[in-house]
Amino acid sequence: MTGLILDDEDGGLALLRESVASFAARHDGPSTFRNRRSSGADMDRATWTAMAEAGWLGLLLPEDLGGLGLGLPEQAVLSEALGRALVSEPVAQLAVFAGTLLTEASESAERTRLAEGLVSAAAIVAPAWQGRNGAAAPVEARAEGEGYVLSGTLEFVPAAGSATDFLVLARAGQEDMLLSVPADAAGLSHSLHPTLDGAQLGTLVLDATPVAAGKVLAGGNAVSAALEKAIAVTRLALAAEMAGIATRAIEQTVAYTRDRVQFGRAIAAFQVVQHRLVDMWSDAEFANASVVNAVETCTEEGGRAGDLAILAAKARAGDAAVTITRRAIHLHGAMGFTDDCDIGLYMKRAVALNATLGQPEELRLQFVARERAAA
Amino acid sequence: MPEQQDWNALTDEDFRAIFRDWVEQNCPADLRFMRKQRPVFDEVAVWYHRLADKGWLSPVWPQEYGGMGLDAAKHIVYVEEWARLGCPRIPDHGIGLTGPLLIRYGTQAQKDFFLPRILTGEHVWCQGYSEPNAGSDLASLKTSAVREGDDFIVNGQKIWTTLAHCANWILLLTRTSNDGPKRQNGITVLLVDMTDPGVTVRPIPNLRQETDFCEVFFDNVRVPAANVVGEVDQGWALAKAVLGHERIFLGAPSRPEYAIKRLERLAEDRGAFDDPGFVARYARLRLDLYDLGSAFERFARVLRAGGDLGPDVSVLKIFCSELYQRITEEMLTVAGEEARLWDDLQTAEGEVDAMNLYLDSRAPAIFGGSNEVQRGVLAKGVLGLPS
Ligand SMILES: Cc1cc2nc3c(=O)[nH]c(=O)nc-3n(C[C@H](O)[C@H](O)[C@H](O)COP(=O)(O)OP(=O)(O)OC[C@H]3O[C@@H](n4cnc5c(N)ncnc54)[C@H](O)[C@@H]3O)c2cc1C
Repeated sequence: MTGLILDDEDGGLALLRESVASFAARHDGPSTFRNRRSSGADMDRATWTAMAEAGWLGLLLPEDLGGLGLGLPEQAVLSEALGRALVSEPVAQLAVFAGTLLTEASESAERTRLAEGLVSAAAIVAPAWQGRNGAAAPVEARAEGEGYVLSGTLEFVPAAGSATDFLVLARAGQEDMLLSVPADAAGLSHSLHPTLDGAQLGTLVLDATPVAAGKVLAGGNAVSAALEKAIAVTRLALAAEMAGIATRAIEQTVAYTRDRVQFGRAIAAFQVVQHRLVDMWSDAEFANASVVNAVETCTEEGGRAGDLAILAAKARAGDAAVTITRRAIHLHGAMGFTDDCDIGLYMKRAVALNATLGQPEELRLQFVARERAAA
Repeated sequence: MPEQQDWNALTDEDFRAIFRDWVEQNCPADLRFMRKQRPVFDEVAVWYHRLADKGWLSPVWPQEYGGMGLDAAKHIVYVEEWARLGCPRIPDHGIGLTGPLLIRYGTQAQKDFFLPRILTGEHVWCQGYSEPNAGSDLASLKTSAVREGDDFIVNGQKIWTTLAHCANWILLLTRTSNDGPKRQNGITVLLVDMTDPGVTVRPIPNLRQETDFCEVFFDNVRVPAANVVGEVDQGWALAKAVLGHERIFLGAPSRPEYAIKRLERLAEDRGAFDDPGFVARYARLRLDLYDLGSAFERFARVLRAGGDLGPDVSVLKIFCSELYQRITEEMLTVAGEEARLWDDLQTAEGEVDAMNLYLDSRAPAIFGGSNEVQRGVLAKGVLGLPS
């Protein structure tokens, strides 16, 4: 099974893959998933801390913010490997999304504090910016004294229960703002909703929450620019993670169908089963090719070409991961319908990631709209 | 012989520019973007001879045989530009099939006699593999060749032989023995002059009501033993070996690329882009095509790095041929009530040969190893699934 084939002249990507594999041997993905789910937690702190020690939480963050300052190829390989191993912590939302927002924010002591906390896992920095339909939905900010008072509700907040700090999108009049709000701020409350992939998403309610002026991380046009960047980079990381899930799901299904004997033969010897497996494998190949294309187009060209490539990759990998894991369950028979069998966890994770930051149909429509607008 | 240079020493982009410029000036305008997939030799003879005079007729033959000697990377550029500029397909079995086979396995005498005649267009070749009862299961072929003195006597029938009606030579797979334990043994490759007595060609109208392929009958046709390629009874491996990096072209995006441009033209003219249902379906097709480009690039890169293609390249052929079909099916949906008309559809931007493409797109999923056969190759060769 091929996976992402990226240029790796100095062997750094291969090393990264190996270190995730040995990490996963110590922090088993599926059992962590099940434990986290039964404990009602929104993340597994032991796994998170170990990832911080490996440097992965600050992989993309520039070095002056305490990160490793690496690029999209490294992030893609990390995400792919995490997907393969079903290490299902919110790396994409917290490390990549929040990390990108901080990278794009203007310099301040608060930004430095948050970045350092994110990288070391001393802080859990959760982005809070979406409304019920998934679009950006800034809460209301009212100037008061030196600072602001925030009121409103935000949805789909990752790790809302564990968060020490929120990156909150707000609007004062016509002006967008990105503010840092501590979890223990006055008037702040949250409720949690269990997710398909054994975690929790929060609804964050701000009821006249006061925020000091020094906590403003970005304002004006810089805010939507930072959001756009964070969405794009996170979509790419999600795509890579889903490509990893897709590829691993086929490996497991090939192994299972070779093993399972019915009618005196391995079920993988039946042509119907073989052709289904080939179609699944082919979908994963295309997902991998699409993610590689996005990584390279963003690195070499950027701009509109890079944006289109990311839309294509997230759509392709999302469809691949969801439909491959679904078909994989079918080929496992009743075993696939059990909670004990890992293939079901892969499907649930795939569905959850696919639903994050745009489903395939929506992304394809965006692609076509942008391409046609330029033509 | 026309002058050649070391094309492989150029960058891909430089080569592309040189090739494109010349083709733009020399490929006759009325032959560009022909409706016909498979024009006969006379229809495209001008273009064939121009290419031959320039020395650009056979891209991959080594230069000592009159080819350009392109490596796989430059060959990809050649094929891409050819398609982009809408050059017509020329009868190319001599260039793509017989030539490479003789260069690799032929005797000196065979090379000296046949190769130059392919380049001048004197010999036009066709491929005689399939038989009425030997399609996907090609090794079950029965057309017999029996030794008699210095000759073989050939009896039997071939079918689906593309352009046999304008060819004068046929590359024939024959059965010379039934003794071996495997049917693949006992197959011999013969070079057969179709003007010899006993050869009868009968064109078969295809789905597009054109005559692209034919039946070819052999009734006691006498073929000199000197026309055996390689060893007697050992032809199977030869026939299979010819296709190397060329397998990538079965998945080259050019057909679906052309079809989607026509779909866009039709959809714009008929206002379909105002229909959200169409836009969603179109978006899926558009991104399938976009990602086919990414997948094609992944294999092209293997070739550029000097590597060999594995069985996994079949994934392109399946995806590409099925995408081509889906695009043309969407054209008929957009055509609405007009989707029962035989003639090209009219739009403000020009004609759209929707029905032509719809019918044409049935074929690539069947030939070159049907898509089911390709899935079998992937199941065994890539996923290692048991029998
Ligand atoms: C336009 C066109 C041009 C051609 N040109 C030439 C040419 O120039 N020279 C030449 O020699 N041949 C030529 N062919 C023939 C081509 O190689 C054969 O059509 C092809 O090998 C399939 O064989 P068949 O048509 O006999 O179909 P069959 O083998 O009878 O297949 C019929 C259907 O059954 C399926 N099938 C067959 N076996 C299996 C299996 N084991 N498992 C699952 N499904 C299976 C196939 O996928 C197909 O869908 C051409 C064909 C076309 C359509």
